[in-house]
Amino acid sequence: MSIFTKALKKSIWVYHMAASPCNNCDIEILDLLTPRFDVERFGILLVGSPRHADALLITGYINRHVAPRVVEVYKQTPKPCVVFAVGTCACSMGIFAKSYNAAGPLDKLIRSVDPDALIVYVPGCPPKPEAIISAVVKAISAL
Amino acid sequence: MTREELLQKVKAQLNDKILNFCELSPKRVYITVPPEDAFEACRFLFEECGGRLVTASGVDTPDGIEILYHFGMDGQGMVLTVKTKIPTREDPKIRSIATFLPGALWIEREIHEMLGVEFEGHPDPRRLLLPDDWPEGEYPLRRDFKGVEG
Amino acid sequence: MRYLFDFLIFPGFLFTAVVGLVASWVDRKLTARVQWRKGPPFLQPFYDILKLLGKEVIVPEGSKGTGFLTAPLIGLAGVTLVSTILWGANLWGRAFVGDLIVVIYLLTLPSLAIILGGAASGNPISGLGASREMKLLLSYELPFLLAIATAIIKLGGSLRLADYTETLVVGSVSGVIAFIVTLLCAQAKLGLVPFDIPEAEQEIMGGPLIEYSGAPLAAFKLTKAMMLFVLPVFLMTVFLGGFHPKGIHILWGTLKYVGILIVIVLLRNTNPRLRIDQAMRWFWGPWTVLALAGVVLALLGY
Repeated sequence: MSIFTKALKKSIWVYHMAASPCNNCDIEILDLLTPRFDVERFGILLVGSPRHADALLITGYINRHVAPRVVEVYKQTPKPCVVFAVGTCACSMGIFAKSYNAAGPLDKLIRSVDPDALIVYVPGCPPKPEAIISAVVKAISAL
Repeated sequence: MTREELLQKVKAQLNDKILNFCELSPKRVYITVPPEDAFEACRFLFEECGGRLVTASGVDTPDGIEILYHFGMDGQGMVLTVKTKIPTREDPKIRSIATFLPGALWIEREIHEMLGVEFEGHPDPRRLLLPDDWPEGEYPLRRDFKGVEG
Repeated sequence: MRYLFDFLIFPGFLFTAVVGLVASWVDRKLTARVQWRKGPPFLQPFYDILKLLGKEVIVPEGSKGTGFLTAPLIGLAGVTLVSTILWGANLWGRAFVGDLIVVIYLLTLPSLAIILGGAASGNPISGLGASREMKLLLSYELPFLLAIATAIIKLGGSLRLADYTETLVVGSVSGVIAFIVTLLCAQAKLGLVPFDIPEAEQEIMGGPLIEYSGAPLAAFKLTKAMMLFVLPVFLMTVFLGGFHPKGIHILWGTLKYVGILIVIVLLRNTNPRLRIDQAMRWFWGPWTVLALAGVVLALLGY
């Protein structure tokens, strides 16, 4: 494994995107970045631009308004990158599956753009911060 | 004025138009009127009884589309609702109260795009919540809506 | 040949990069400790730069490709040159008349690189960040230069850096005033809170660096880390008597550098961010007056 991939495992910069969520998953992600869980010791930093990011934390069931924007943000992230579908809504649309506005769960949307994307599912409504950390650890070993 | 005085005043003004008068609880009163008289009832409640429009609802029932206008009577601590049922589902129409009540502009736009009710006289009948590429003629909150492709 | 070695290896690029990344680790660890958490491991900044070098470089379509890609190199070259000159003066007494002016001029190159990169990105947010960086640059250069003028007057008008390592400018009242003013201007030059206005992350999503990815972003981050090393050394050389490579003075020099670094990091952790108009008023108002007072006191001999 090249030295760049080894470095990628030790330093993951995260960009958070809320694609029409109910905001509970966003609150849990915000909790994750507070001093109590201290993810900086794993090298995880929150960045302000998708171009600086290695991991996209996407929450929310995707609705028709935001679907093209999620695809744009995915294309703007430099590869190699990991997509985290945080919450039951992002994994499978959850209770909103039959809504008139739903535009597919996240993996269907991302794979229509890039069939080889690395997608990590973090189910839970909302998932605990510990669950998100464990998902990041599993993603790191799969890189 | 007290609650009893208000209800007396409403009954006196809209006497022959009231089809049903239901006091569900001391704070919730429902008045059912025919669709042609809903405009007059709302105007009366807003301009002469000091009512404040809280919101409006639209329901697709088996015998027609029902529109409810909820007015908060703050002086009396109760909510008075004007209920009207439009019997046809093909091309339902009702007179818009947004002409004198600007607070009803957006909620009538939403009822129009979700249930297909046409509000006559509405100054701005654009889409509110649905995306721009939503096909015309598909009303998501109707009971027979099956879903849109894509 | 000797100069090439000095520029690239020691005390030039490699030395400054390594020590600069260690300094940025000290900054992050101290910040973490102030916030009651453990910080990143020691090699974290190195992993960050390595990871960035391995990512794909995206050049946006609306940007001016040449300016976009050369801007990071300008900043990197400027800060490397400053480090070479400063350490040359400190370790071997190698200086020439006027090198203080050259160093001050070269120290503005990293900010210019950010302005150029931000303006060439073709993104309105990065243009906004670039304009804020311009305003900040204009505002802090004035008290900075006045305070250094105090030090020049204290040394009888000498412009050779090697002379500054002989005397302790902070031994006098005007020297202390000038040192405090320069410390705050250094905080703004480094782009740290309370003056990290151009790169305000929560507000304008990375500011001028919003469109950078991969190796150019690594160059910008490395420039910032190297400035964190070079600027306190500059302060140390001009005001605190420099770094003498003999015996006990090595320890003294390291302690001086670490002391200035700790003050900068603690200032960063205990203050909120200013708005750009507040920062301009702050620099052109009280601090310029203070720096002028320092100059006057130096002229009077205090």
